Amino acid sequence: MNAIETRNLRISYGENEVIRGIDLDIPEKICFAIMGPSGCGKSTLLRAFNRLLELNPTAKVSGEIRFFEKNIYEMSEHELRRQIGMVFQMPNPFPHMSVFENVAYAVKCNRMAKSKKDLSEIVEWALKKSALWDEVKDKLKEKASNLSGGQMQRLCIARALALKPKVLLMDEPTANLDPISAGKIEELIHELKKEYTVVIVTHSPSQASRVADYIAFLYLGNLIEVGKLEEVFENPKNELTEKFLTGRMG
Amino acid sequence: MFRKLKETLFIAYVCIFSIIALLPLVHIVFTVFANGIPVIFRGGTEFLTQSLASPGKGLGGIFPAIFGTFLLVFLSSLIGIPIAILAGTFIAEYPTSALSKSVRALLTIMLEFPTILVGLFVMAILVIPMGSFSAIAASLALAIVMLPYVATYTEQALRNVPQHYKEGAYALGLRKARVVFSVSMRIARKGVVTGLLIGVAKVSGETAPLIFTAGNAWRSVGGVFEPVGAIPLWIYYLVQQPYANYHEIAWGSAAVLLTLFLVIFIPLRVLTREVRV
Repeated sequence: MNAIETRNLRISYGENEVIRGIDLDIPEKICFAIMGPSGCGKSTLLRAFNRLLELNPTAKVSGEIRFFEKNIYEMSEHELRRQIGMVFQMPNPFPHMSVFENVAYAVKCNRMAKSKKDLSEIVEWALKKSALWDEVKDKLKEKASNLSGGQMQRLCIARALALKPKVLLMDEPTANLDPISAGKIEELIHELKKEYTVVIVTHSPSQASRVADYIAFLYLGNLIEVGKLEEVFENPKNELTEKFLTGRMG
Repeated sequence: MFRKLKETLFIAYVCIFSIIALLPLVHIVFTVFANGIPVIFRGGTEFLTQSLASPGKGLGGIFPAIFGTFLLVFLSSLIGIPIAILAGTFIAEYPTSALSKSVRALLTIMLEFPTILVGLFVMAILVIPMGSFSAIAASLALAIVMLPYVATYTEQALRNVPQHYKEGAYALGLRKARVVFSVSMRIARKGVVTGLLIGVAKVSGETAPLIFTAGNAWRSVGGVFEPVGAIPLWIYYLVQQPYANYHEIAWGSAAVLLTLFLVIFIPLRVLTREVRV
C-alpha cells in the first residue's frame, strides 16, 4: 500500500503556481527523497501532505492527495497531522518547555497517555527511538533551548514520534546542523525507515544518495523524474536530472 | 584625520543629547524625593496609615489614597486585562479580517484619546445612572485607558513569535487555541507582561479619568460602589488648597507614588526573564 499518493496536484500562492500537476506514489516504510534546486517547490509539496499549507491563506491546492488511500481533505487536519509527523529545517523545540514537556505536550493534548506513568514511558520510548535518551536522560527537566542544535533536532523527531505517526516529513532537517550532527540524523533516518515512511526534502544529491530508497526530482514545480535511488542515480532518463546530480545545476 | 574628528564629534553629540534627554527624568525624580522624603520621615508610619489632616494641622496620613490606588489598579486590571489580551490576540492571529482591521484602528485611536473624555463618558453611562461616584466607575474608566496599551503590546509580542514555532505546534495536530495560548503566548510572555506593566503603570498614575468618576474620599475607605480616593487625585486636589501643610502632604504623596512605581515595576521587569528564541 502507498503511504501517500498525489494525483494532478497543483498548488499556487495567489497567481503564482509553484506545483504544476504532480502524480506521486510514496510507498510505505521507505525513505523517499524529494530533491531539487532552491525554489522548485519541494517544501511546498511537503507542507501539502500534512495540510500545513493551510496556515498560509494565499495557498491554493487542487487535485488529490491520499494518505493510505484516504483523501486527506476527508479527515480533520488535526487527526492528519497527528499521523504525519514533521521535522523542520530550523530545529524548533518549544523554548519555554523542558525536554520532557516538549515530547509530552502534544501527547497530553491529544489524550494519548492513560496515566502519568504511561506518559513518561511514551516520552522515554520516543527519546530512545530518536537516539537522544542517553544524552538527555539526566536533564529532562532542563529547558530545551539549552540543548545543542543536533540534539534539538532529534528532540523534534522525538516529539513527532511520540504521537505514533505513520509518516515522518523532514524539510531539510540537516540544513542548519554541523556535519557530525547531520550524520547522526542521517543514521537515525536509516533506523526510522524500517518502521515509518520517511519523506525527506533535500537539495543535496549526496544526502539523498545516503538516506533514500526512492528519489523524486522536482524542477520549477514539475516532477521531472521519480524512481528507485539506483535507477535515478545511475541511469537518469532526463537531462535535467543528470545536470542536477552532477552538480552542473543547483 | 578629518574622519576621526567627525567620528569624535558625532559621538560627543550623541552623548550630549542623550544626557539632555534624560535630564527632565532625573530632575523629576530628584525634586519629588528631595521635597517628599522629608515629609514622609516627619509624618512617620502614620503618614501611610492615617487619613487626611485638618487644614493647618500637621501631616496626618494618606492611607485612603494608597488604598484607593491599589483598589483601582486591581479592579481596572480585572476588567481591562482579559479584554485587552483577547483583543490583542485576535488582531495578531486574524490580521486580515475586516473586524480585526477596525479593532486595530480603534485601538490606535484609543492610545491617543484624551483621557478626560474617557472619564466624562463613564460619568454619563455609570455615575449619573448610579447617582454616585464610585470605585467601580473609576475602574471602568481606567480599564478603558489601559486597554489599548495592553492589547497592542500583546499583539506585537505575538507577532514577534517566530513562525517556525507556530508551525511546529500546528504540525503536532494541536488546535489553534492551544497553539496560541500554550505556545505562542508563553514564548511571547515577556512582551505581554511588559504590556501589562505599562498598562498598570499608566493607570496607577492617571488623574484625568478619575476626576468625573472616583469622587474622592479623604477620610474613609469604602467598597466598590462608594467614592474612592487615589494618590494622583489627592495630589491634584491638595496642591489647589491654600494650606501649607496640604502642599507638604502633596509632596509626600508624590514621593509615595514614585516609590510604589519604582518598587513594584523595576523588580517585575527584571523577573520576567526573556525566553531565548
